[in-house]
This record gives sequence, C-alpha cells and structure tokens, in this order.
Amino acid sequence: MRIIGPDYLVFGVDDLEGSKTYLEDFGLKPVQLDDTGWLYEALDGTGVIIRPKSDPSLPAPLETKNMLRQQVYGVEDASVLDEIEAEMSKDRRVTRLSDGSLEFKDDLGFELRFQVTIRRELSMPAEKINAPGAPAQRAPNELGVTDDMAALPRSLSHVVLFVPDMEKVVSFFCDRLGFVVTDVLTGAGPFLRPQANDDHHTHFFIRTPAYMQGCEHLAFHMGGPTELMVAGDRFVRKGYQSFWGPGRHKFGSNWFWYFNSPLGVHFEYDADMDKHDDTWVAREAPNGPEASQIFLLQWREKWAPSGGPEGGSGA
Amino acid sequence: MSAGQLRLCHRDDIPEGAARGFLPLPDAPRNVIVVNRGGQLHAYMDSCPHYRGGTPMAWRKDAYLDAEGAHIACHAHGALFDIETGACVSGPCLGRKLTRVPLSEAPDGSISVPAQVAGRAARES
Repeated sequence: MRIIGPDYLVFGVDDLEGSKTYLEDFGLKPVQLDDTGWLYEALDGTGVIIRPKSDPSLPAPLETKNMLRQQVYGVEDASVLDEIEAEMSKDRRVTRLSDGSLEFKDDLGFELRFQVTIRRELSMPAEKINAPGAPAQRAPNELGVTDDMAALPRSLSHVVLFVPDMEKVVSFFCDRLGFVVTDVLTGAGPFLRPQANDDHHTHFFIRTPAYMQGCEHLAFHMGGPTELMVAGDRFVRKGYQSFWGPGRHKFGSNWFWYFNSPLGVHFEYDADMDKHDDTWVAREAPNGPEASQIFLLQWREKWAPSGGPEGGSGA
Repeated sequence: MSAGQLRLCHRDDIPEGAARGFLPLPDAPRNVIVVNRGGQLHAYMDSCPHYRGGTPMAWRKDAYLDAEGAHIACHAHGALFDIETGACVSGPCLGRKLTRVPLSEAPDGSISVPAQVAGRAARES
C-alpha cells in the first residue's frame, strides 16, 4: 500500500491561545480552517491542526488525558484509498467522507484518517557543506551561515505513540497497512516506515501502561543540522523549554532537538535522517542512553574566550 | 536571610493563582517552582518524576500550570500534580510525587530555600 506518512496530526487543546503562539514560534504557518480550527503548516503543507478540546467536530478523545485526537495520513492516489477501504472493511466500520478520504480506528482505539496526500512538492537545497577530499558544495563566496538565515520546518516527519499493546499495533500497521520495521529499540519498541516513504521512520512506538496511551512526540524535518540548531536556539531564546538535545540519534542518524509544548507532547526538530529500501535488515539494540544517540549536547548562552578580569582586552 | 539559604524572590512576585520558576543559583541544574494558591506558597523542584533524573516541566518560562490553573502540569507528557501535595493525579507518573522544597519567609517577605537545593537535580522521594 502506497502510504506516504502523516499529513496532519489533530489535537484538542486546553490552552488554545498558548498553543497558537507556540506553534507559530516553532516556525509553522497559521491557516485558519473555520471558526474553531487552525492548521499550522510546514513548508510542504503538512502540519498540526488544533481545536479547543470541547469542539464537537473533533473525533472522540482517548481515554487518557492525551490531547491527540486524530492522525491523518497521506497516500499516493485514490486507488490506495480503495485498497485500504477494502482491507479495513473486513473487520471494522470505515467511513468514506465526501472528499474521498477514509476514517476508522486502529486496533488500540487511535482515530485515523487516510487521504490523497496534500503535500506540496518542495524544491529547496539541503544544507550544503564543504570538506577536504570532496567537491565543495557551496560556490566561492557562498556563505554557510548568516544572522537572518531561514530555519523553518519543511515537512512533518514522524509521530511517536505510547502504546499499551505492542503486538497489536505492530501487526496492525505491518500486516494490514504494509509498513515495515526498520529498527528496534528493545524495551521501548520498533521504528516503522510505510511503503511510499524511504525515511528511516514515520513511526516509533513505545510500550507503556494503558493510562499513558497517546502521542509522545511529533517531529518536523529541517534543512540540515545547522538549520535545526538555529531554529532550536531561536526557540530557546523565546523562552521555550528544551527537553532533550540537540544531539544525533543512532537509529535513523537524524539530528534531534525536543521541546515541551502546551499540547502535552514533545515537538522535535529533526534533520538528515537515513533513507532505506526493502533490502535493509532491521537492527536491534537495548533501549537506553547509549543506543539512543551518538552524542548529546545542551544549549547554553553565547560565550567566547575573550577579555575578563584577569587582564584580557575585555572588548 | 539566614546562612545556608538562597533567596528566590519576594512573596509579591508570585500573584495569587500563578506559578513561577526560579534558579536558586545561576548554574543550578533545575528551577524551583513556586505556586501561590490562596495566599499559601508551595514549592517543588522543576523535575517531573516520570523519567530517571527528572525532567523540566514548563513549556515556556513560568508555564507550570494547566490551562485552568488547577494543577501543576508537566508539559512533556501531560502529567498533572496536586498543587498542595505534589502528588501525580493523572498521567505517566501516577503514584509518584514532585520533590517538595521547604520555603522560608523573612519578615520583609523575602522567600528563600535551603542552599543544597541548588545542587539537586534528581527526584528524591
């Protein structure tokens, strides 16, 4: 099944105004959908939809306090929706909406929607680097950084879910929707990618008690590690709380930086994730600090070795 | 302020119903959260007990409460804590508690905490 990945994640929030400010400061562009709903979109049109938690147009909430209401997935074309409808109709109610999209619940009660993807094709350069022994990626006089450089989320990358029953959820996504497991962190869970996406993962599942079921984090791809760190640094300076990072994961090789949010989930900037094809054989490593990252750094105020009371220039 | 105490703020710096975070020393690993509930000040380490070592809970500077101001909230995974007791009432760390910090109030309204709080990052229960 030619599923591409998450187009939107939909939340019913406690603090609408706080969430709006947060999402805009994170770098997403607000688009008002109707009286009570806002889409905050990345450059390719994917993103996060928020509504007040009492909005009747939202799918039913999870039994936990998690604010995730629906995961909206993009597929390549309408024939994929027919395939999904045929498969899912075997054992559950599937609603076909007027725009052709499908709504149903997965085996754990998460609300899903599948649609022909709304992603706009991006045509932008990746971060360019120069290194001895390789052709220069930047032309002479082309600068690597500037104070006003753009650092905006390009695309919704992945969603991470707390799940009470790993076997059920993995079998649902792999056996019913054609996802493949790319790697496994034993003790936490597997990374998955769908057939029409070569990113290392669009999903990661973490095994938890039932009272935690919900979204743990979502991530947006940036143009490279420098953009990731510029965006994160700007976000910290606006008063937002870093949770983990910046650093670089081992599985997926993606750079990461996680922040707390008023949506009760982490928002992650990620960059430079591995790509895989069907010849890849999944690795396995015990979950923990060693397997989680090749290195981990922490933000600090700008500082430089100059001046000081010991008699430097102090300029 | 007595010896071994670090001043955080003045009582009037925390309005009724509000919460604020203060670093007890510039290089301390964690904030101390002070909440004013009905004129009574409650203080806890800014350290959610969900993960080992504890993690910071606000989503923005001083954003420690849920939208209704009824609970201290960890904006990492949505855990809610009772303001009076620090006990988790909902979310991933159900059954655990925030680490309470004893506050001292001077006659002029200065609020201070024991100096060892500045070195305290991990959850202690």
